Amino acid sequence: MAQRKVVPTGAKILAVVMVPMVAALNYVGGVLVELTKAPIWGDTWATILGTLISGFWVGAVGGFLYNIIMALTVWGLPAWVWGTANVLIAIITWFFIKMGWTDLKKPITIVMAVIFYGLLYPIYTTGLSIALFGGGPLWKPIPAAIYAATLASTGNFWLANYVQAISTEIPDKVISFVIALIIASRVPRRFVLGMRREEEVVAGGS
Amino acid sequence: MSTLGSRLLRTTIIGKDTPIHKLDPRTKFLYFFWISLLGYIFYDFVLTFIFLVVNLLLAVVGKVVRRILLTILVIIVPWIAIAAPILSLPLGFPWNETIIYRINLFGMELPVYQEGLGWAITWPLRIAVTISAALLFMLTTKLGEIIALFFKLRLPFRALYMIAAALQFIPLLADEVGTIYQAQLSRGLKTKASIVRRVFNFLALGIPLTLSAISKVQIRAIALESRGFSAPVEKTLMYELRFKSVDYVFFAAIIFFTGVLAYIYITMGYSPIVRLRYLFG
Amino acid sequence: MGEDSVVIRFENFSYSYPDTPNVLVDINLKVEKGEALGIIGPNGAGKSTLCKAMNGLVPHFYGGYINGRVIVAGMDTLEHTVAELSTKVGLVFQEPENQLSGLALTVEEEVGFGLAMLGYPREEIKDRVREALEKVGLSGLEERSPFELSGGQQQRLAIATVLAMKPEIIVLDEPVSLLDPIGKREVFEAVKELKKTGSTLVIAEHEIEELAYIADRVIALNEGRIVMEGEVDQVLADVEGLRKITVEAPSVAQLTHILRERAGLEVNHYPIRLEEAVKLYEEVLRK
Repeated sequence: MAQRKVVPTGAKILAVVMVPMVAALNYVGGVLVELTKAPIWGDTWATILGTLISGFWVGAVGGFLYNIIMALTVWGLPAWVWGTANVLIAIITWFFIKMGWTDLKKPITIVMAVIFYGLLYPIYTTGLSIALFGGGPLWKPIPAAIYAATLASTGNFWLANYVQAISTEIPDKVISFVIALIIASRVPRRFVLGMRREEEVVAGGS
Repeated sequence: MSTLGSRLLRTTIIGKDTPIHKLDPRTKFLYFFWISLLGYIFYDFVLTFIFLVVNLLLAVVGKVVRRILLTILVIIVPWIAIAAPILSLPLGFPWNETIIYRINLFGMELPVYQEGLGWAITWPLRIAVTISAALLFMLTTKLGEIIALFFKLRLPFRALYMIAAALQFIPLLADEVGTIYQAQLSRGLKTKASIVRRVFNFLALGIPLTLSAISKVQIRAIALESRGFSAPVEKTLMYELRFKSVDYVFFAAIIFFTGVLAYIYITMGYSPIVRLRYLFG
Repeated sequence: MGEDSVVIRFENFSYSYPDTPNVLVDINLKVEKGEALGIIGPNGAGKSTLCKAMNGLVPHFYGGYINGRVIVAGMDTLEHTVAELSTKVGLVFQEPENQLSGLALTVEEEVGFGLAMLGYPREEIKDRVREALEKVGLSGLEERSPFELSGGQQQRLAIATVLAMKPEIIVLDEPVSLLDPIGKREVFEAVKELKKTGSTLVIAEHEIEELAYIADRVIALNEGRIVMEGEVDQVLADVEGLRKITVEAPSVAQLTHILRERAGLEVNHYPIRLEEAVKLYEEVLRK
């Protein structure tokens, strides 16, 4: 009998299970940060990682689901809107994969990460945080001081919120992105292949 | 906050027998939705404070008030403490104009503005309402009831699975983090270190955690597939939900107060007491 | 025996994963109704893949390339989905914790999960769950969380989840390899009970001593091919043959082999179970 090729059905169900895993990894990211005192929030690294190893949809839905869980458990109902910010993170990550900005040895990767994650992304989150949480100073002293200083010198409420946001987002998102790239490069290829056969993964540049 | 979260998730399993626990999850979810929405519709620290008190009273009945109060205090108090002084003073908030008080700071007389102060108090209170509402729901509702709720709400089964699995993975992964952390500590991981070192520490925990998580995903997916998860039929729900008389009392109360609040909204607007003009544009 | 009593039939079956070629090569195999088939072989020989080929995970879940075909309970696995095959073949995996559904909160719901996925009515699910839990000795734990159980209990729970589907064949893929000694014993006892009730069993196992008590027939795999096949007493007693594929025969068989080689012990057949060895050596000592 001739050899027959069989199309896998597993990728679909793997994605269904990977999505809650991405959400859970984002969630325990907070625990990791608490233990290691790493200079990030720890709540988006898994969204980036999920996008890198399992594709855009898993990263986006997983990141969104994380915020749904947070809204249900700790943050309260309106916080689900932050889920859209996590979708934006997945979109940016997907775009980076398409553009090939995932090689840590190339300076362009970091430059683009600072621009996209650090400067463009906070435009959206600044709007959200004013609409949802009223904006104003964060309850951390350094960003709050940056907020006060910007407002004092420009008198622009939006700008003050934005500058405050980028002061936390540039380090947080860029470091989270680097962390996700390094972890993705350590994931055995068969797992990566098992989840997304249609697109090659270029994570870690290897 | 996440460790708090995973601790919360763990304890939700423990059922208590209070009138709040006995409520149908659909009723509780409606209340959660309703009160959170009210918190956002009205911009008023008195009314918002009343919403918060109602939540806390229900939490007292449900015997979960300690936990909720603690969470709110941790989030709200430092927020107000930082935001109120900055926002209510002259340069902290662009819409400041109504002086309600003057304080003496380092020999300077500074005006305190109603707008900034109102903003700095009302927003944290709003968030306190939504947080306490969410916690009240989560802490008094069993995971099985939540699954049944979303099933009844006609959520697609895959989406339902994702929510339930995430809630179940979180404590599982949190335990795993503990194990990995102990292992890495014994292999010389130093917690007091430079920033760069701390990022490496995150990787030292994050890499094994991710690999273990991914292998869990593989096995779980295979197990689900072997047990008919992908069968294209209507699934059977093992959990039954039924409205009881206490649920109808609750519905009646929600309808009554919706009426009262609608009257307030129509006659006094969404900011009945503070009436900040800048919000009208 | 007639062809209708054959419940699993591999016909010239070969399989390659998308990234690993020739994991199974030219497999021809028949399993009769009510029979217990043991699968042995070194790590990476294809035992797990062979087990997964019986419920359709291979090839459907992974994709890949196949030759020949597999007929299970009259169904060609290539033409039916894993969900359809799930009422015919129940598969129990190595890891006790990770094969749980994750959606069930109690032991009862976990056992009923597969039936719920197929849309069975609630009453029937409850009946079947009760029956399945009785069979594996977990009655009384219905309301417990599956995650509170010991490893041995979880693995018996996994067997119960399979039993509730009333499958024609139960396939166990190294079900005790991750358990402690107590857990191993519990699971083997449950498997032996199943055997008594006449279920068709396929069990891939490293614990060859236990397999001697469970299997009627044994096949040995090496590099994806069936290299030995026969009655359990014949295959497990082939000390030299097993050693070639780095599988250790039961220790009583090995002992007898060594005594024959070195001390000229005269035996025509090696024992594979302790009781047989005791009987043999009693006779030897009496002489």
